[in-house]
Amino acid sequence: MKRVMKWIAAASLLISGAAQAEPVTLDIWTIDRPDQYMYLLKDEFEQSHPDIKLNIKTVQFRDMVNDLARATATGESPDVTYIDNPEVALFASRGLLLDLSPMLADSKVIKKEDIFPGPLSSVTWDGKIYGIPRGANTIALYYNADMFKAKGLDPDNPPKTWDELYAAAKKLNDPAKNIYGLAFSAVATEEGTFQFLPWLQMAGGDYNKVDTEGGIKVLDFWGKLLDEKLASPDTLIRSQFDSTGTFNAGNAAMAISGPWELPRMGREAKFDYRAALLPIPQEGATRASALGEGDNVILAKSEHPKEAFILLEFLYSKMPDVWNRFGFVPAANVKSNDPKTPAIYAVFEESMKYARNRGPHPEWPKISKAIYTAIQSSLTHQSDAKTALGTAQKQIDAVLNK
Amino acid sequence: MQGIIRTIRDGSGFDILLLGLALLYLIIFSAFPIVYNIIMSLQTVDMFTLTSFNRPFVGLQNYYDIFSQPVAGTIFWNTVKFVFLSIVFQLSIGFGLALFFQQDFPGASYLRGLFLAGWIMPALVVGAIWKWLFAGDFGVINYALTSLGIADDRIFWLSDPNVALYAVIIANIWLGIPFNMILLSVGLASIPRDVYEAAELDGAGAFERFRSITLPLMRAQLGAVISLGVIFTLQQFDLIAALTQGGPADSSNVAQYWSWQFSFQTYEISLGSAVSVLMIIFVIVVAAVYVRSTRHEHSY
Repeated sequence: MKRVMKWIAAASLLISGAAQAEPVTLDIWTIDRPDQYMYLLKDEFEQSHPDIKLNIKTVQFRDMVNDLARATATGESPDVTYIDNPEVALFASRGLLLDLSPMLADSKVIKKEDIFPGPLSSVTWDGKIYGIPRGANTIALYYNADMFKAKGLDPDNPPKTWDELYAAAKKLNDPAKNIYGLAFSAVATEEGTFQFLPWLQMAGGDYNKVDTEGGIKVLDFWGKLLDEKLASPDTLIRSQFDSTGTFNAGNAAMAISGPWELPRMGREAKFDYRAALLPIPQEGATRASALGEGDNVILAKSEHPKEAFILLEFLYSKMPDVWNRFGFVPAANVKSNDPKTPAIYAVFEESMKYARNRGPHPEWPKISKAIYTAIQSSLTHQSDAKTALGTAQKQIDAVLNK
Repeated sequence: MQGIIRTIRDGSGFDILLLGLALLYLIIFSAFPIVYNIIMSLQTVDMFTLTSFNRPFVGLQNYYDIFSQPVAGTIFWNTVKFVFLSIVFQLSIGFGLALFFQQDFPGASYLRGLFLAGWIMPALVVGAIWKWLFAGDFGVINYALTSLGIADDRIFWLSDPNVALYAVIIANIWLGIPFNMILLSVGLASIPRDVYEAAELDGAGAFERFRSITLPLMRAQLGAVISLGVIFTLQQFDLIAALTQGGPADSSNVAQYWSWQFSFQTYEISLGSAVSVLMIIFVIVVAAVYVRSTRHEHSY
């Protein structure tokens, strides 16, 4: 036994002598599964940075905010973590995230000017930058070109305005074959708000101003789609993933969803699927699009902010590959390396220019709840669009003016 | 020292030790969380202050906030309907099945055991299965109803605000029947046969025997099943999460899910606590009624 102990002691001496400096270990939290983003980049990073080791822990997406809040309260927070776009303000406003502005000013890898305005606004709080987008996503109109042809519509000329969208949905709708014109999500969660906001923004309005003429117009339009069964009544309870599933199965001719669907669509959709920009209220109206995905942030309490920032720079430098490898749209003005499904990529790349952040506001979930509650009570005809949006506006004002 | 050991081994010390352990368990795992919950319902709490007691005290403001929510009335009545209908049907169907399997026929006990399968399954799985059955466009139930000609058009069980709550209740009834049946079967088995035989000799018919023997002798079991049913129904969270998430437009939302939404969706933990305190008070009332009703029981 004693001899074994001696060997161990000698071996550890050797090892510590060989390595010049003790490697720094960064604790990383992520929502990724082992075949996704952070895990795939870990090896590459550790190879190019032998003095930094990564210790990755997966946290479920829905638990991230709660777990992170608890960890910061008990002092067990990681060095670097993923945070979903609308939640950055919550943590930044409490001083829990490291202000990256000084390091960004000196960085040779990350140029603040390159980051698109939407993603940049999602990591900005009170004029300071608290995170680096790892990529972005947005929504667009997917359509089944085969069905377009079958119904005498021109697949090279997808709907551009809401009127055209309605007309196409009506034409494509085929109850006898279980085909709805359009699939989207008006579910009573953050996803419902995510899908609704760009429509509102295009029609005049935003998260802080929902009781507008435009807001009423959107809800009436959505209501018309549901009442005439051009979209399934289950739109009210389906997530975006479930809605798009019906499109992939050929039970909806068009679907509004994001690039995260493409891997599954490639496997399941046995037809010619294409994408177009989200239709606008009328010719010449302002465009808008949703902004999704999340950011890599450094916790204020991290003991290795310098190394953590090196990791953030490394992750940012992968932006030209995020489309092909992880299904994100680049959040910055970079040239993607030979993007897969180039036509669809071009649509999402352009949408990205119109993508607007949700908030930012530290109490975003309350604002979001007011919005999706209004959507649901209007679409179920429990109140008309004007009343529903008026109620939501009161709740939003109460949050904003606190 | 010897004295202490002796009293613990065979004296009043042993009784106190056992009592103490049970009390300690209750204090740590029941009393403390309840008291902590009550305290939180009187303070302003968010995720970041969860670990400290030093939080602004707001009195009954949280309770006021809850009752002034526009959906409070809807959710209250939904909860009443959810509990009442679930219990009535779980109990009557469960009791009916228990009486049925009490009859002597081949395979009775095996079949009764099979019914437990539903009770063993996690509510989340049950929810996923019912979601397929209830699905509006491609659901099994709609297919059956339309092809049998019972319904002309599809019923959107989970997205029609007039139907969603009842869909959840139907699934919950299904989930609760086995539990009711098994508990009541045990009760039925403990009623002595000779009481029935004597009654039969006196000329009492089947209904008369049920009314004047089975029901009175099952009183304690029925009370237990009803109060446990109320508690289980008020606990039922997974099924709602899997089926409708309280939607659409809160038409199938109930108190326990609402409490969760406050605490974990909008992070208003103090409001979530206040809802759960109100639910605890209700359960205490139910439990008190149950204890009162069985106080004068004498066992056989």
